[in-house]
Amino acid sequence: MIKAQGLTKRYGGLTAIQDVSFEIAKGEVVGFLGPNGAGKTTTMRILTGYLPQTSGSAAVGGFDMATNARAAKRVTGYLPESPPLYPEMLVHEYLSYVAALHDVPRKERRDKVARALTACGLEKVEGRVVRTLSKGFRQRVGLAQAIVHEPAVLVLDEPTAGLDPLQISEIRELIRRLAAEEGRTVILSTHILAEVDAICQRVLLIAYGRLRLDARLEALRAQGSLEQVFLREVEAAAGPQAKAAGLVEAEL
Amino acid sequence: MNRLLAIAGRELRSMFVTPDAYVLIGVYMLFAGFIFFASLGLFIVQLQQIQALGMMQLLDQWNLQDIVVAQSFSTFALFLCFLVPLLSMRGFAAERANGSIELLLTSPASSGEIVMGKFLAIAALLAVVGVLTGAFVLLLFVYGNPEVAQTLAGLQTLFLYSLALAALCCFISALTRSQIVAGFVGITVALLLLILPVAADSSQSDSLKEVLRWLGTSTHFDPGLKGDIRSEDLAYFGIVIAVCLSLARAAVDSLRWR
Repeated sequence: MIKAQGLTKRYGGLTAIQDVSFEIAKGEVVGFLGPNGAGKTTTMRILTGYLPQTSGSAAVGGFDMATNARAAKRVTGYLPESPPLYPEMLVHEYLSYVAALHDVPRKERRDKVARALTACGLEKVEGRVVRTLSKGFRQRVGLAQAIVHEPAVLVLDEPTAGLDPLQISEIRELIRRLAAEEGRTVILSTHILAEVDAICQRVLLIAYGRLRLDARLEALRAQGSLEQVFLREVEAAAGPQAKAAGLVEAEL
Repeated sequence: MNRLLAIAGRELRSMFVTPDAYVLIGVYMLFAGFIFFASLGLFIVQLQQIQALGMMQLLDQWNLQDIVVAQSFSTFALFLCFLVPLLSMRGFAAERANGSIELLLTSPASSGEIVMGKFLAIAALLAVVGVLTGAFVLLLFVYGNPEVAQTLAGLQTLFLYSLALAALCCFISALTRSQIVAGFVGITVALLLLILPVAADSSQSDSLKEVLRWLGTSTHFDPGLKGDIRSEDLAYFGIVIAVCLSLARAAVDSLRWR
């Protein structure tokens, strides 16, 4: 469902990611792990068509981002790091707008909005103004807007950042449920190891703009704790040759 | 088309659930009303003086249309230099500031649809402003009979002029993250274009004079406000709108590269 080949992104002289390649099959739930500034957001922005890559290629749902971005965007649901909300809108109004933006026909919009509201536990606040919602609820609205057009692929950028422990566990539960629906493919970024442990089947580890590791979770657990693997790889990536190559932390 | 209308609809709804549009249009109407009725009052006083002095030959040139309607309309054109930038400064600047631009740019909507959606929303709002302005003139029928055709030509010119400003401000707001900057730059450019013909008069070279005069907005709305719709003026506003909207589209495209 998702295919990245030799993805490289430079901002001026800054190399955010270099030669990142991976492939994600339909129905997989993949954790995109890495320290802050490793290039997670950049990679996700390329996959969602927000940024063009400097070189390499990316395809989502079989549609190449360079040649058929519109079709790729139609099958993708994306929750950016900060949910892209309009504070003055009502929750259901906002979801209906996002559905329209993603080409959901008018007749189906009401149904799909209702489904997204139910899926994300937002029925009680559907008539509220977004501004008045708590951070946890805003994050849910963010998730609801990502799934309202029932995309085959979900891209979630740090979906639990800034939430309290209770909200975190709720959102994780929600993501697990959304991932199980209709064999959806999910890629979610995080720097929290427990999150990957709780939700994902497979891990992609990125550090200093390079993909360091691509493994199934059970294989990793056999090698010791996730934390050990994570630290080992990040330290290895931070080695002197990486610094000499001018790979600098960059996260726009 | 659906996406374009969704964007325009959302934009309009947002304007009406926040006080911004009401306040701005309200203040505009307050000033416009003041100017309009002050000039009407002055007109009536002067008319009485002329009659008292018995200078009947002056009455021929002293008509309601030229003195009250056309004069106030050209003051309204000045007000529009403030109203339109303030109404449209939110446009892209706010989307970028609150991150919702990421939603737009990762949706199937094209940059062109996004720009047209925003422009359409402001155009609808400006149509409301035009209708409200027209309501002043309706009141004139109480006092006399203003020229319907000339008044409509004036309103049409004001509307076209405001659309051109809206397209310009749409472009400016796509260049910045700050609404304040978008608003101020918009007002500045609008005022500069308004007074450009004045600068033209003081220029030495004839060709430069022509160019400056052609670029100035007032060159092209003055005749229309007096009831004279010229195709060259329509072409000018059409060109300004088309150029600014394509620039706005290019600016939105370039957001993807930053």
